[in-house]
Amino acid sequence: MNAMENIQHKSPVLTGYQENIAAAGEDIPAEGSSKAVTDMVVLEELSFAYDGQHADIHDISLAIGKGEWVTLVGANGCGKSTLIRLMNGLLRTSYGRIYIGGIRLEPGTLGEIRQKVGMVFQNPDNQFIGATVEEDMAFGMEGRCLDAGEMRNRISGYASRLGISDLLHRHPQELSGGQKQRAAIAAILAMEPELIIFDEASSMLDEKARRDWLDLLLEMHNEARYTLLSITHDAEEIAASQRVLVMHQGGLAADLAPQELFRDVGLLRLCRMEPPFRIRFALELEKRGMMPAQQGMTDGSPNPGSEVKRIWPFSWSM
Amino acid sequence: MREKLLIGRLIDTGSPVHRLDPRAKMTAMLLYAVMVMAARSWPALLCLTAFSVLIMILTRIPLRMYLKATRPLRVLMLFILIVQCLAVKGGSVLVAAGSWHLDSAGLAAGVYAVMRMGLLVSFTAMLTFTTSPGQLNQALEGMLRPFERAGIPAERLSLMTGIALRFIPAILDEAQTIMKAQASRGADLKELPWKGKARMLTALLVPVTVGAFRRAEDLTASMESRGYRIGAPRTRYRPLVWGQGETWFVGAFVLMCLVVIWIGFN
Repeated sequence: MNAMENIQHKSPVLTGYQENIAAAGEDIPAEGSSKAVTDMVVLEELSFAYDGQHADIHDISLAIGKGEWVTLVGANGCGKSTLIRLMNGLLRTSYGRIYIGGIRLEPGTLGEIRQKVGMVFQNPDNQFIGATVEEDMAFGMEGRCLDAGEMRNRISGYASRLGISDLLHRHPQELSGGQKQRAAIAAILAMEPELIIFDEASSMLDEKARRDWLDLLLEMHNEARYTLLSITHDAEEIAASQRVLVMHQGGLAADLAPQELFRDVGLLRLCRMEPPFRIRFALELEKRGMMPAQQGMTDGSPNPGSEVKRIWPFSWSM
Repeated sequence: MREKLLIGRLIDTGSPVHRLDPRAKMTAMLLYAVMVMAARSWPALLCLTAFSVLIMILTRIPLRMYLKATRPLRVLMLFILIVQCLAVKGGSVLVAAGSWHLDSAGLAAGVYAVMRMGLLVSFTAMLTFTTSPGQLNQALEGMLRPFERAGIPAERLSLMTGIALRFIPAILDEAQTIMKAQASRGADLKELPWKGKARMLTALLVPVTVGAFRRAEDLTASMESRGYRIGAPRTRYRPLVWGQGETWFVGAFVLMCLVVIWIGFN
């Protein structure tokens, strides 16, 4: 499948959503309808221009189901960050509609939408508001007018879950890159959002921290409590997700499974990326007639298995 | 400097002073500062010193830490002492060398000034040793709140101060990185003459300012995405509670003020 064919490709989720809407004879999803509940994000004919004239995002329609783990990929400057900023109202759409958890994004619903969406940005240094990790975790909850007892419970609960209980009284500047990202996620999780968006959140991490990060994402996904949308250039992270949205020049170039992306040389070139080593290796083996096991290509299953399977996922005999 | 700003100056000993509402400590500090400036006699200054030492002991922080707090100002204190000795004339002549003579009034004025500065710096260190920057900021907001009707935006001021406190170390770090980058390209600030240093400062300020704006933009996005809205109601993770202890603490300072004033009139 080449890049152009992929442009025509629609995800099963989106197709199902559109069919439902057509059957109901509605223009917009009714709040509380079955589809509005199963889709966490729905974008309809979304366009946006920073200067009001030249579209930076044009005509994007897609749907992301609740509990899905989706990665958003594309070359630098293709509009990925712009698209996610539109999703929680940091930027205002020029044309089209956005629904988060069945609620249409408009000025009146901005507060409600932001309660559902948590965002973790690329540079954790610039997203800490509190002078300590604890204060930073409390910041979002204070805005939601939670009482102090509830805040304390959530802070200790999420800090221990993310392994940062010892860091609660530290200044953000005293933390390592991996610790900072964990603290940033803890601050978002404490607000208990339904959709978590990561804007290249793993790009500043070293190899070890990146592996921990991936494990954390898998853990969050397995909980089935969050819908994850992650902008990333990390092939391992893409491979681990369930679905990939490829952006090119402000449009949606493809919506497909990770293994399909890694087989599509045209799309990979469009994203300026290479598949992870194990997948390249698997493809080379395949070329030579040694068929890798299916799980070698699709690591995005909810339970990817042991580390051995992750590193050496092939069943072949010499 | 960076390390000091980074971790704040809080020395947590868990003393009763540490647990006090920061508004009480700030009010007490204001009263103390006024009295230090108003004290015009040795007995008044001695009374203030005794009171300071008592409170410092209550914080369970070693007294040498308070002395250490005055160390960065030792040159300034020496300078003030010398200027006062040279400038103020009167009383008996203590030392004479040719046309120059040190008078008792000059020496007294110098020692007064140095003592005042020492007391003020060491005692105000008590506030930062026993209170985290976040609490101090919260106290500032609490104390400004009554003036909101006069148009002083207490919450915004406190948020601005909090963010400034949070970002000072980060911006200092960035300035240091830029200086190193410039030095690696042959423009080492340390090796330049004063005129060159001044010129280089512009080359440093521009990228640091641009960086600060970039940080501000990211921070705004982070705050907005966490639902922050100016003027929207918020609860507090650590609500300020004014209890009996706070009233006694401020009461002790009021008593100290009365004693110092009484000494001044006698």
